[in-house]
Amino acid sequence: MSEPDLATTESAPRRGPRGLDRPFMQRRAEFEEALSRNASARGAEAGASLPRASLWGDAFHRFMKNKASVVAAIAFLLLLAFVIFVPWLSNEDPYALDFSQAYQSPSWAHPFGTDGFGRDLLVRTALGGRVSFAIGFAATFAIMVVGIVYGATAGFVGGHVDNALMRFLDALYGLPYLPFAIMTLAVFGTVNFWTMVVALTIASWFTTARVMRGQIFTLKQNDYVRAAYAVGAKGPRVLYRHLLVNTLGVIIVFVFLELPGVILGEAFLSFLGLGINPPKASWGTLAQDGYTAYQAHPYIIVIPSICIAWLILSAFFIADGLRDALDPRTKEA
Amino acid sequence: MLAFIIRRIVWTIPVLLLVILMTFLMMKLIKGNPFQVTDRPVPESIQRNLDRKFHLDKPWWVQYLYYVRDTARLDLGPSLVQRNQDVNDVIKEHFPTSIKLGLMAMAFAIIIGIPLGVFAALKHNTALDYTAMGIANLGFALPSFLVATLLIYFFALRLKDYTGLPTNGWTGPSSWILPTIALGIYPMTYFARLVRGTVLETLQQDYIRTAKAKGLRWRLVVGKHVLRNSLIPAVTAAGPVLGGLITGSFIVETIFGIPGIGKYYVTAVTGRDYSVVMGITVLLSVIIIVANLVVDILYGYLDPRIRDERA
Amino acid sequence: MALLEVEDLRTHFKTREGEVRAVDGVSFEVEEGSVLGIVGESGCGKSVTSLSIMGLVQSPGRVVSGAIRFEGRDLTTMADKALEDIRGKQISMIFQDPMTSLNPTLTIGTQITETLRRHLGLSKADAEKRAIGLLEEVHIPDAKRRVRDYPHRFSGGMRQRVMIAIALSCNPKLLIADEPTTALDVTVQAGVLELLDELRRDHGMTMIIISHNMGVIAETAEQVLVMYAGQVVEQASVNDLFDRPEHPYTEALLASLPHIDDADPRNGRLTTIPGRPPDLLYPPAACRFAARCKYAGRDDCATVPPELREIRPGHWVRSQHPASERSAEPVGAR
Repeated sequence: MSEPDLATTESAPRRGPRGLDRPFMQRRAEFEEALSRNASARGAEAGASLPRASLWGDAFHRFMKNKASVVAAIAFLLLLAFVIFVPWLSNEDPYALDFSQAYQSPSWAHPFGTDGFGRDLLVRTALGGRVSFAIGFAATFAIMVVGIVYGATAGFVGGHVDNALMRFLDALYGLPYLPFAIMTLAVFGTVNFWTMVVALTIASWFTTARVMRGQIFTLKQNDYVRAAYAVGAKGPRVLYRHLLVNTLGVIIVFVFLELPGVILGEAFLSFLGLGINPPKASWGTLAQDGYTAYQAHPYIIVIPSICIAWLILSAFFIADGLRDALDPRTKEA
Repeated sequence: MLAFIIRRIVWTIPVLLLVILMTFLMMKLIKGNPFQVTDRPVPESIQRNLDRKFHLDKPWWVQYLYYVRDTARLDLGPSLVQRNQDVNDVIKEHFPTSIKLGLMAMAFAIIIGIPLGVFAALKHNTALDYTAMGIANLGFALPSFLVATLLIYFFALRLKDYTGLPTNGWTGPSSWILPTIALGIYPMTYFARLVRGTVLETLQQDYIRTAKAKGLRWRLVVGKHVLRNSLIPAVTAAGPVLGGLITGSFIVETIFGIPGIGKYYVTAVTGRDYSVVMGITVLLSVIIIVANLVVDILYGYLDPRIRDERA
Repeated sequence: MALLEVEDLRTHFKTREGEVRAVDGVSFEVEEGSVLGIVGESGCGKSVTSLSIMGLVQSPGRVVSGAIRFEGRDLTTMADKALEDIRGKQISMIFQDPMTSLNPTLTIGTQITETLRRHLGLSKADAEKRAIGLLEEVHIPDAKRRVRDYPHRFSGGMRQRVMIAIALSCNPKLLIADEPTTALDVTVQAGVLELLDELRRDHGMTMIIISHNMGVIAETAEQVLVMYAGQVVEQASVNDLFDRPEHPYTEALLASLPHIDDADPRNGRLTTIPGRPPDLLYPPAACRFAARCKYAGRDDCATVPPELREIRPGHWVRSQHPASERSAEPVGAR
């Protein structure tokens, strides 16, 4: 399995953002119906007016009620906090080479130990996290932009354009992930933040594009779209105001699905030696460093890997929780 | 149905051409002269000869067409760096290893993953379910380089005396075990989670209620009604998974020192061995495309509704 | 001894918000050879009652208390294996939605023969022959060829007929039909009901038919049970129920049916029952219909739960204000 193929796998138990392909308006109506049924049966006067409910407010509440999601969200924030605050608060100089301190196992002085150059790993891991997150967010953002533009265009315009764009996309699926990313990096010649972001984006935008196309295409069929046109709204306004807004939920879920994939992809590339150049480090390059010495000092590779795993798990459960929160028809599974 | 199959197969040709084109263009964009082995630039006359030999003096689209023609004849050209080797030789030497590893990892993933998913679903919300899914989630989140490293660390180093497993290499069955597990864990978790999901969904279906109402023994209901319907998505997922396994084994091959295609690839890219890179990428693409094709067709046989739709 | 005796059945569902009392003290008897109709609106507990009889209530629901005696044996205390022997053989059930009640990946033939082979031990060949015969019995044309078809090749009405064939395949003593016509076109409905009637008489079966459609009940049932909010509120023979309904709810149900020969069809308004059924998480302590009842007053309606009593021979009602006991002036009418 091409390891970083996460975008399609955590949809694994459910294929694609389940249920989110029903129109927003319909879901909203179902939501309010369910709410009103509960409210009135608890003794409210028949026919009394009910408090207005908003989709986002209720989604938030549903999310909060899901224990796994809340734990995941906290874990995610903790990781972010770690990455942001530790280097800021620490006194250690992450770049100072001190061979006398090399390869120290985790201890009070160095909670994560030191690497082969005597650098404190706690700070290095946090800094590496900053780089990984930065690459992750940037690439995810880029993927979203490319994917949304491509997919929405195809879905919205429809017809031959849609056909052509989708066929092209189908062809792109035939390109193997890692080799493609590797070649992109080779084209750029060097590996820095931006080239890495571009390489990862290019190799990973397909699924988002396809899903967006599907969403827009389905939403487009709704009567309220026809109504909007009937009152004189023009294309771009309809696209923006009615269609894209309603796909916001899907987009957010996908952000949390693509983020770990991208970060893992960066880690893999780094591991193969194609990572960001030192002294800047990411979790992937740290892992690669650790790999060279794992037989004697296994902790060096374990720590950044656990950080990656932590991110993947928390992002996945957040995405799961978001998916359930935005779809009132969730079954008890 | 036959018409559908033919159409589907025919459709892979433009896809393949496009893939070759994209790879080709990317390779053209990579700066660097593969013939330049040392810091001294290659003498002009020699460079010209080489260029003519490899059609490098013609416009890119002509080169592309040459390449397509050659590829169709299964001639992927000579290695630009390894002077006395053809790309085909390189592939023949390294590729079977990758295939073997991929297949074994796939078998591992299916044999462990699917039953795990089924049991987790049947014993839904019990300790067994949570443990199984806990393991699955862990296996899915931990990066494969960590898994591989830990496997080696514990089983081949620390417990060396008990297990007798080697830390690397590809010589004989005992050296196959750890890499197979390392590569197979991720797809195993994928199958486990996928199957658990589909089984749970199937169990909610009305026809399962009907089957129970008929008084069929539960084991039969599960074996016949539940599994048949819930394994279809797993089967259709197996194709791309296998494709991904064979093409994505780079990390595991690197860590275990397995002489497969993956390890060779990175060297080829950094070494600007264009023809090898092209050849391998095209080959990998073919595998992915074929895997998807097979699965697509298979899906039609498995689900009678699709069978009719396509007829 | 009646074929089926249900005594004080309670089936509850454990949810995050609490315990939903879907069936809360339901008792009735079904004599052999008769047809019992259970009618009520969505959510009143009629389907859950039938599922409880079959032992098919899924978690988080379970039968909390009560007895269900089939031919004298209590089904609620039976082991799963024993129940499996009874289901499909002695008691069969057909469900509401024929489109989803059949397995799409198995042929119709397989789905019939598996029941036959399970309960009657028939060989493959015999079972298939019998299956064809059953399809003919339910008037599926070209049965011999159709037996090899998959469900998606059949229309809704035909699928329901197949379901009936499956249910009848082992000659059960009791057939429970849960909203058998609800998902079907009106034109097809009549055919299915006719078929059920014909087969019932041919096989000498007892039947329980559940519906929210008064018309269906009127046409098929001999005895009728009216359910509301998890309880039985009225029970009578079909003629007596429709001629002289007692419970305010039943009256309201009958009044809400549109009639062609109404005084002024152009009037337009249908009579409805205001309000909604009570939340079965916290059902009212007293009469459950009081909140919507025309006749409920400031008397015991709000404090004393009415018992099911025999107001006439063979006619039971659970109300403080059954029709025959009402004076000219409704007490505390709203």
